[in-house]
Amino acid sequence: MDLQFSAEQLEFQQEVRDWIARELPRPFADEVRDPAHDADSLVEVRRGWQRKLNDAGYLGMRWATEWGGRGATEVEEAILHAELNRADAPIVPNFLGISLLGPALIHHGSEEQRRRFIPKMLSADEIWCQGFSEPSSGSDLASLRTRAEPDGDDFRITGQKVWTTFGPWADWIFVLARTDPDDRHGGISFFLVPIDQEGVEMRPLKQITGESEFGEVFFDGALARREHLVGQLGEGWRIAMTVLGYERGASTLANPADYERQLGGLVSALKERGELEHAAVREKLGKLVVDNEVMRANGLRTLANIAAGIAPGPESSIEKIFWSEYHQRMTDAAVELLGPQGMLEARSPNARTEVDWAYQYLWSRAGTIYSGSSEIQRNIIAKRVLRMPTAR
Amino acid sequence: MQFELNEDQALLQSSTRELLDNEAALEQTRSVMEESSEGYPKDIYAQLAELGYAGLLLSEEDGGLGPIAFAIVMSEMGRVAFPGPFLELSLAIRLLSGCSGEVAQDWQARAAEGSALVVLARDEDLASTDPAAPQAHFADGRVQGSKVFVPFGAEADALVVSTAEGLALVPRPGTGWNAAPLTTFDHAQRFVAVELDDEAHLLAEPETSATLLTEALRLGALGASAQMMGIMERSLEIAVAYTSEREAFGVPIGSFQALQHRCADMLIQAESARSATFRAAWAEESGAEDAAYLVSVAKAWAGPAGRFVCGQAIQLLGGVGFTWEYDPHIYLKRIKTLEQFHGSTTWHVENALVNAPVLADA
Repeated sequence: MDLQFSAEQLEFQQEVRDWIARELPRPFADEVRDPAHDADSLVEVRRGWQRKLNDAGYLGMRWATEWGGRGATEVEEAILHAELNRADAPIVPNFLGISLLGPALIHHGSEEQRRRFIPKMLSADEIWCQGFSEPSSGSDLASLRTRAEPDGDDFRITGQKVWTTFGPWADWIFVLARTDPDDRHGGISFFLVPIDQEGVEMRPLKQITGESEFGEVFFDGALARREHLVGQLGEGWRIAMTVLGYERGASTLANPADYERQLGGLVSALKERGELEHAAVREKLGKLVVDNEVMRANGLRTLANIAAGIAPGPESSIEKIFWSEYHQRMTDAAVELLGPQGMLEARSPNARTEVDWAYQYLWSRAGTIYSGSSEIQRNIIAKRVLRMPTAR
Repeated sequence: MQFELNEDQALLQSSTRELLDNEAALEQTRSVMEESSEGYPKDIYAQLAELGYAGLLLSEEDGGLGPIAFAIVMSEMGRVAFPGPFLELSLAIRLLSGCSGEVAQDWQARAAEGSALVVLARDEDLASTDPAAPQAHFADGRVQGSKVFVPFGAEADALVVSTAEGLALVPRPGTGWNAAPLTTFDHAQRFVAVELDDEAHLLAEPETSATLLTEALRLGALGASAQMMGIMERSLEIAVAYTSEREAFGVPIGSFQALQHRCADMLIQAESARSATFRAAWAEESGAEDAAYLVSVAKAWAGPAGRFVCGQAIQLLGGVGFTWEYDPHIYLKRIKTLEQFHGSTTWHVENALVNAPVLADA
């Protein structure tokens, strides 16, 4: 058993820490609070940050150098993500393209596709969104009904996708579409589709936070070119499932780092209010500290197992449930401890500046829904880990 | 980085499980609960001592194997709700090894080889096992004071007693201990209150004693967390096996989503306890600066997690889960015992907070 970073890994951590201190102008929370910004200019802040990361070689780190990566390990990638969260760096606009589409192209795409799409994905010249979920196909993704029909050499796509993160700013969308109505899994194919064309309509969806970070997409005979089919016809499901498991290491230490920063903000607020010595406050705060540290222990264990080449076990479902439910507990407690002030929106006078609590409180409701809801994760644990009986 | 057990550790785990399954399966615990006048299985303790288990927390040259091995063994003992004062015996041996002098050496050797039962007598408050300044006194070669919740104290050959003057060793007086039973709902753990006015040997000065007791509290909390981890693992196995067999409405009840999700929650609690406990054991073993913090994190998690898992195991078995005959109650009782000793959950939550990085930066 060895749960510490090696000398090289510690050196990498320091390198990243120094780089962020040098390159990050200010925490993202400060950008959000700046009245000079609107939703579009905040995207530009994120785009600019992505370019800096790309120039420094911190994107797609585990990819081969040929594709803009540095052949780094999962541990290094986890260290990078933890440091970025510790500093409240902006989330890059192409995070879904880089974490999902990049590996899909590298492992299943053609040489031409890689050359055409990867450089612009990394440089944020083209922003990608993900077209998997549909209004009637969320947890049961394989029931998706958006169809791609042959049109000469190419395909025409018809249907609807939803919860399309970054859709309102995206140039391209990677789409799972049905090419065979009779084959549930084998009838799904993976297409790359430009959004700026007739037959594609992107509508922003207003979220409970008031922003429209995601949208819905309507396809009405939209053109998908043959050369933009990833893999073979009918391989879409397999490719999607493979890439969804590809990034399992990156978040292991990032979530506890993010929440520790938020906890730190809560501590300084309570200290300023002279409430840090109250027994009831300390008990709440202590439990949040304990749970976050247990989350980090789970993360270190997952990361160590990945590094040792041990096949993924129950960890990823446990991790997903743990962080998403923890963030709800933590923001619940924080807003309660901060009283009405904890509800003030970022740009309101007198809002706390350490953390945008009002936003975090609302945003935490998303985590238990996206990327496999808590209910689906519990089904996975019961069936695949505990091997409990299936309903007849 | 590496989390999973290495070859030696895995071997220790499998051989300990085999030994305990053969010699100390749950029937042993039941026999202590129900009839044994001895209170704990002395023959098995002798066998364990012979195999070197009692001295697990000693230094390597004295035959110890370190905190990770200790956690592995503790977890296996949790799985069978192993009766008797094994954890307290291990801690007493470790304490004695930190004291100089012939008396300490002599009793350490006898305890480690299984010819004497020595346990730590620390707590003085019926309502708390949190660290506190001892009120017992050592003077003129005698210890005077009251100690409570001394595990299997009535059968001890000697007690390591915390006093205001430092740790003292009290051999069993010729007339026997002046002890009264404290019968908790965990009948497999027998506690006594002891009134001491007996000949004793001072083992260490107050300062050294305080350091040794702090360390013993940490290792005790680690051992308790590791036992709770094993208890959770076993309780979940029992619940999953039962709900997979038992049928209602023509199907195994384990096929119902409400029960599946409950079991999934139990797994999350149990596996998280494993991650946190082994991380703490590793920190102790490697002498990490944040070992005290990580031990408190592990214990603060394991107590409430264990209560949840053991409580739900009873719930999932339904009516039979509430019977003496079925096993889940044995684990519920033991896990509550473990949560209450070696520092309460409240104390460890506070200790985690005091040592937390977020507070250091504030």
